[in-house]
Amino acid sequence: MIYHASTLAVVVFALFVAAVLALSLWLGSRTKSSGGYFAAHGQVGWFVNGIAFAGDYLSAASFLGICGMIAFFGYDGFLYSIGYLAGWIVALFVIAEPVKRLGKYTLADALDSKFNSRGLKLVAAISTLVISLFYLVPQMVGAGALVKPLLGLPHWAGVAMVGVAVTVIVSTAGMVSTTWVQFIKGTILVAVCTLVVAMILNRGFAVPSTPIASTEVQTLVKSADSMTVNGAPLAPDNQLDSKLRAAHGTGFGSVAALPGGVERTGPLGPLGFFETFSQSTITTWKKGTDAAGATTFTPVERKGADLLLPGANPTFKGVRDDRVASKLDFISLMLALFLGTASLPHILIRYYTVKDAVSARKSTVVGIAAIGFFYVLTLYLGLGAMTSGALDPTDSNMSAPLLARTFGEGLFAVISAVAFTTVLGTVSGLVMAGAGAVAHDLMKDVLGMRMSDAQQVRSGKIAAAALGLGSIALGILFEKMNVTFLVGWAFNLAASANLPALVMLLFWKRTTKQGIIAAMATGLVVSLGWILASADTMEKVYGYSAADAAAKTIVPFSQPAIVTVPLGFAVLAVVSLLTARSSKSNAAPA
Amino acid sequence: MSSEATSHESTGEESTGVPVHRARFLGAVLFAIYCIAYATFVLVAAFGTFKGGAAVGGLAAPAFGGLSIAVVAGFGLIIGAFLLAAIYAMFGAPPRESETEARK
Repeated sequence: MIYHASTLAVVVFALFVAAVLALSLWLGSRTKSSGGYFAAHGQVGWFVNGIAFAGDYLSAASFLGICGMIAFFGYDGFLYSIGYLAGWIVALFVIAEPVKRLGKYTLADALDSKFNSRGLKLVAAISTLVISLFYLVPQMVGAGALVKPLLGLPHWAGVAMVGVAVTVIVSTAGMVSTTWVQFIKGTILVAVCTLVVAMILNRGFAVPSTPIASTEVQTLVKSADSMTVNGAPLAPDNQLDSKLRAAHGTGFGSVAALPGGVERTGPLGPLGFFETFSQSTITTWKKGTDAAGATTFTPVERKGADLLLPGANPTFKGVRDDRVASKLDFISLMLALFLGTASLPHILIRYYTVKDAVSARKSTVVGIAAIGFFYVLTLYLGLGAMTSGALDPTDSNMSAPLLARTFGEGLFAVISAVAFTTVLGTVSGLVMAGAGAVAHDLMKDVLGMRMSDAQQVRSGKIAAAALGLGSIALGILFEKMNVTFLVGWAFNLAASANLPALVMLLFWKRTTKQGIIAAMATGLVVSLGWILASADTMEKVYGYSAADAAAKTIVPFSQPAIVTVPLGFAVLAVVSLLTARSSKSNAAPA
Repeated sequence: MSSEATSHESTGEESTGVPVHRARFLGAVLFAIYCIAYATFVLVAAFGTFKGGAAVGGLAAPAFGGLSIAVVAGFGLIIGAFLLAAIYAMFGAPPRESETEARK
């Protein structure tokens, strides 16, 4: 509820989108074959592909979500950075090169490379579409959520802008334009975030002119057609942080005390930043509800050292609980992040855009370097936002843009444009993965539709346009739903459905097509069912209270990977052993 | 199968003997090292850091320069991933592309 619409942000974003669309239309005139459309002719250079990996992978969840979670809860957000990056080790050492050698355009190509099975292609295509959908919705809703405070536009406008831009990008030159959009996005995102971190270190920490007392509760009352802040109507001069700024010269999120009692540290080094933070006292804000039903934000002083430990966020609170069952959620999520990355369809298809396995490996190393560097920056960005005095306590996703605003309107405009670009790059990859699954796997291979090369390209473009328009509808439909955690679900689904199949196909010779189909179907259905029946979903999606959700759930913890990944391996092994003989006798001649 | 797909399969390490085994062995060792490091981090966070809701050690323990194990281990896992990837790229490398192309 701290609105800062910026004309400069609108102009910068419009210029960037116009440049991206012009590039896509130009590339589209040069992309005619299915190999070009679905895999960029397999001729993307390994360095460009590596940075494009970063542009593909660093979604709104990585940029806005992680920075916001660190800004609100400290180290817990950084756990996502660690897990998201660690997953690339699985991609590099286990998946990248074999997948490149086995496949052509899609995940289904690789899984079906030895079997030529319609059933397998169908399951792989469904898995691709479901996982991409779970990843797609939060990106679109995130785009809509950003436009109101940043650009002063309604939710649907943000969703529509991203949806139309992505539809043009993917429908014109497919993987060629998607690659270049992701390359540009990856480069700008890492460069701009590096600049912001340098400015954070140069500024150091400072305490407000007068300390914020624990009694200074800020209140927010929302009704159907109005909103009051601290008892007065919301207005440009009565934002949620206006009272604090008038009294203390700072808004939400500030340093209460610095080591040695100094008021300002001056510039800090990369390690000195954490040393000073851990010895400082930070004013954080606890959300609650008062007796009249108003939303309250109460200042709470916390030690910096405590904020640099896990367990402050509700998702990870079990870490601080002595019961083993409470800790399983955390362990399961970290497992899903580790195993899910290498199984995400929109990441896997990037391996088909380089010419050989050597390039696949090199581009993965470049991707790890770029993504790892960005994730190192997230801890500085998040803690910088936590102490910037510029947080919006109602929306953690706004933390990074609002942090940039403390350095000037120009940087705010650029970060806002980068935030939209982040969504553009990731959604393009997701729509591309979905278009391949529909046009290449379902229409051509499963339904057996005979298509010329040009018809395949046309089908891919139509599928991309349909998915792009569908994503607009979903983004508008799910506006009110808390969907940030859907990305975590996508990792669980990918790890449960795809990883056992990929690993066993590559490393166990007795794997049969029936085993892969059974493992993928089991992983997808059981992990999805587990998620939908979890207390987390009951509370955040179905709207139950925390107590009711805990009472009604039928699964012991919310993140399923720790159960469903081993289940996928077990099902694949058992079904493969049971069907090995019949597979041999029914094997088609090569 | 299209010529493009055939081309994919004929490139890379499959056509060479020793580099494939060397790369796979090195890759397996590096992967195992990272898995152990990651699992240790997760298990220490879950079981070795808090007791009764209070930090008692593990990730909360001091490392060096005023930094806790949590910060050092977190950065270590990220930077370590890149270092292992770089080692794999340098020493587990299959023949250079030019050599591969020459054999085609």
